[in-house]
Amino acid sequence: MKCNVDLTYAMIPKELKELLARQIAGIEHPRELVVDVMFAVQDHYGYLSDEAVEEVAELLDMSPLEVEQLATFYTFIYREPVGKYVIHVCDSVICWMEGHESLLDHLSGKLGINLGETTSDGMFSLLPVCCIGYCDRAPAILINKKVYGPLTIEKLNDILERLRAEA
Amino acid sequence: MPKIIIDNHEIEVPEGTKVIEAAEQLGIMIPRFCYHPALGSVGACRVCAVKFLEGPFKGVQMSCMIDVKDGMIVSTTDEEAVEFRQYVIEWLMLNHPHDCPVCDEGGHCLLQDMTISGGHGMRRYLGLKRTYRDQYLGPLVQHEMNRCIHCYRCSRFYQEFAGYFDLGVMQSANRTYFGRFKDGILESPFTGNLSDICPTGVYTDRPSRFFGRRWDYQRSPSLCINCSLGCHTTASARYREVVRQEARYSEAVNGYFICDRGRHGFHYARNETRPRRALIEGREVSTEEAIRAAREKLAELVKSAGPDSIACLGSGRSGLETQAMLKQLCQEKGWQGPSYFMDKSLAGKVKTAVSRLDPELAVSLHQLEGSDAIIVVGADPINEAPMLALAMRQAQRHGGKIAVVDPRPIFLPFDFTHLPVRPDEINLYLSALIKGAVDPQLIAEAGKGAAEFYQVSPSLEIVADSLQEKASILAQELRAGQKVVIVCGTQIVRETTPALAADHAQLLRAAKKQVGLFYLLPQANSFGASLLTGDEVSFSEILEGIEDGRVKSLILAENDPFYNFHDRQRLDLAIEKLDLLVVLDYFESAAVKKAQVFLPTSTLYEGGGIFINQEGRLQAAPKAYLGGISIAQIGGGNHPPRVYGRDIPGGEVRAAHQFLTQISNGDQIEDDDHTQRSLLRWIADNITPLPEIPPFDELAENGMRISSSDNTPPYFAVKWQEEKDKGNGLEDSLEIILTDWTFGTEELSSFSPPLRKLERSPCASMHTKDAARLGLDHGDKVKIKLDEGDVEVDVCAEENMASGAIVLPRHRLLEWQKIKSFPKFVSYEDVKKVST
Ligand code: SF4
Ligand code: SF4
Ligand code: FES
Ligand code: FES
Repeated sequence: MKCNVDLTYAMIPKELKELLARQIAGIEHPRELVVDVMFAVQDHYGYLSDEAVEEVAELLDMSPLEVEQLATFYTFIYREPVGKYVIHVCDSVICWMEGHESLLDHLSGKLGINLGETTSDGMFSLLPVCCIGYCDRAPAILINKKVYGPLTIEKLNDILERLRAEA
Repeated sequence: MPKIIIDNHEIEVPEGTKVIEAAEQLGIMIPRFCYHPALGSVGACRVCAVKFLEGPFKGVQMSCMIDVKDGMIVSTTDEEAVEFRQYVIEWLMLNHPHDCPVCDEGGHCLLQDMTISGGHGMRRYLGLKRTYRDQYLGPLVQHEMNRCIHCYRCSRFYQEFAGYFDLGVMQSANRTYFGRFKDGILESPFTGNLSDICPTGVYTDRPSRFFGRRWDYQRSPSLCINCSLGCHTTASARYREVVRQEARYSEAVNGYFICDRGRHGFHYARNETRPRRALIEGREVSTEEAIRAAREKLAELVKSAGPDSIACLGSGRSGLETQAMLKQLCQEKGWQGPSYFMDKSLAGKVKTAVSRLDPELAVSLHQLEGSDAIIVVGADPINEAPMLALAMRQAQRHGGKIAVVDPRPIFLPFDFTHLPVRPDEINLYLSALIKGAVDPQLIAEAGKGAAEFYQVSPSLEIVADSLQEKASILAQELRAGQKVVIVCGTQIVRETTPALAADHAQLLRAAKKQVGLFYLLPQANSFGASLLTGDEVSFSEILEGIEDGRVKSLILAENDPFYNFHDRQRLDLAIEKLDLLVVLDYFESAAVKKAQVFLPTSTLYEGGGIFINQEGRLQAAPKAYLGGISIAQIGGGNHPPRVYGRDIPGGEVRAAHQFLTQISNGDQIEDDDHTQRSLLRWIADNITPLPEIPPFDELAENGMRISSSDNTPPYFAVKWQEEKDKGNGLEDSLEIILTDWTFGTEELSSFSPPLRKLERSPCASMHTKDAARLGLDHGDKVKIKLDEGDVEVDVCAEENMASGAIVLPRHRLLEWQKIKSFPKFVSYEDVKKVST
């Protein structure tokens, strides 16, 4: 009883869908590609919507729930719309010893949002992440997958201003 | 085998046994949430901590994760372990609501028990509790996610054990959520087990929610009679009605689980529409009056037209007692019958199955789980006997290969190979696959019979080109398998198939394989009915008798031919013609409405009963409660009427076998136990191979195996050429195949309000090629011309079924009873699109 997903509004553009379908057809165990497919779709839309989960499931012959299990497990899959810049603040032990909390407080205050939120201008989202492997640069953060660290309040202010100016 | 000492008791256990299991064998129940014997260990909850004092591990460890090794000394009562477990409970309770009084799990909640026994009595955590949004999961299971302790039992059962993927675990860490992608009805037909295995109140039985606490219920061991497997259940009754059924562990049959049809199929016994009063011509009368009327009319008929003007029809849904009483009466009184089957060919197939089920071949569901190759012929497990599909899945998970030779669009919750062939090809394919799977050398050594049978049976050459590859891979897999089981249905197959399945099982045995044979029968007690069937008339012969005026009275004992018989027109005319129709039944069947005399019989829950399942396992269910109309119904939701009386209101129902003695012999009835004992005596004296059946409470947990294998020489001469010719000339016809669905076709469960919400609406399945030839699209409405008129139904175009067939469900909402005889073919011209 694999449910045949009947999507009234297909989201993934045809070319992308075909590309993905080709990649999937080329490997022995299609579901191994699920994270890559989710990323590809997310890169296109900025986040993974409910409909996108269903489309990914259909592409890989999985149930939407199976895709959702992974989509909601991984930190870098966004199931809600996020801002132009996604800031992941490392909250693991080394960064925490090096002042993660004051960094986070500062960010929150400056952007006017809590963890898990996006600024009303759609510019910044603030999310936690566990150790990203840059303990030598603690306290560290990721902004759109780029690492910054070791950080101080001043450096952080500079970065935010630069990003705002660039936007 | 390693030895271990747990709490000063020594025990020796097989290699691979976990410490928690060894302790259980000693009678020491180590606390557990995530460990479950059917699901195994995952070490998620940490509540099974014990202290290892000596051996390869030291200190506090999880007893569900560690295999017993020689030299281990373990303490479950060590202070450190006890304290550890207490903290585990405390942290599991951090987020758990403290509102057991409004939780339906309260009273049978493992978490409640562990919290108390673990010693966590005072709440120290004062913070906010984590909360979730619940989901709608359908009519059977209620969701309350806040109660979750993250043991993962539900997702492991649902996905790994049962093979459905619409419920599982999402998110991570403190937000971990068990549920569906979106609200919606769960897809699996095994969802009720979630309520059984969840150690807290996240999933509870929705239809019976808030009806009582476990201690309020009269709980008794019972049996499921919604298919021929005979799974074990626990019936919970309160205020004179059964309100809940749960799975009851049975090592041999269903293990820890049951299907939703079985769990919720009991509502016929409690529905408000159930007829509770005797009727004469539709008028409510006292039971005694109705009995007298029936008796007098029968006596008159005997006088005027002879005893053989009376005929009896029983069924496979009655207990052995009623079936046997019917037989006894017919023998003693010279009445005709009894017949228990709707058509002669079905009776023949069941009889063959029963007589060919050699005790050395018969396997239980549990044994089937251990096989490494299963070949299914003419059976649709998930629709005919759902728990069979679950057992097959376990075989498949352990590496077993599964093949299904069946024309229908078969779905199973695991990978299998489907050879969709027409019913007339099933024999050929079975034979070809088995022939390809045995070693000719071994067959030659096995003797003449086997060798000759092997010699003439068709080989893989008969397989259609499109299926060649699949079939030869399958034959290889079967060849590699050591433990092979043949599963054979009795409904859609030709009359020769059940015997041929047995022959091929013998052939596999001759080839030195460990072989099992597993038949599916049409009803819960078809096996019993078959043991009681000799050369009595069949139902169609009874109808002939009525038609030519010889038979003037029909007694229907728990059978509704208006539901089951395929030729309604003929039935209507025959019933019209009768002088007397006596109906005994326990639900509002169409036959009840036509009866001159109706007697309300007791169900399994009020009367108890003996049923023999499809593998010949005789099992018994005691009464679940004493009978009577439920308090809810007589009180209309209020206090029941304050009227003095010595009887139970609505307690006029009696076991069908008692009514039968009364209408034939006299008014006086002895007490239940007495009638039952004398019946069992009669059965033992008259029905081979049935032995003296011990009282119910002495019948062992797993019943007793009956075998009536008649030692016919194993290999019969199949006219293979004829078999091959059968398909000739069928190119332009479509065979009508009537089939079961999990929900909506089985008679008893079709009265269940919660299951009705799960029924799919009936549709006619046909191969996409046939649909195309007919100019039909999936979803179109068609009119199919049967012998006595049309059926109008939606089309389901399917890839995974045989072409040349139309599959129709015997659905309660479909008037399919317009067929004169089987096999029934229609031509392409008989199938027309209905323009809407
Ligand atoms: S819902 Fe129940 S079974 Fe599932 S993880 Fe939570 S407590 Fe365990
Ligand atoms: S498989 Fe059959 S006997 Fe078992 S619970 Fe389901 S309907 Fe009942
Ligand atoms: S702890 Fe922050 S990067 Fe490792
Ligand atoms: S039962 Fe052992 S960790 Fe849960």
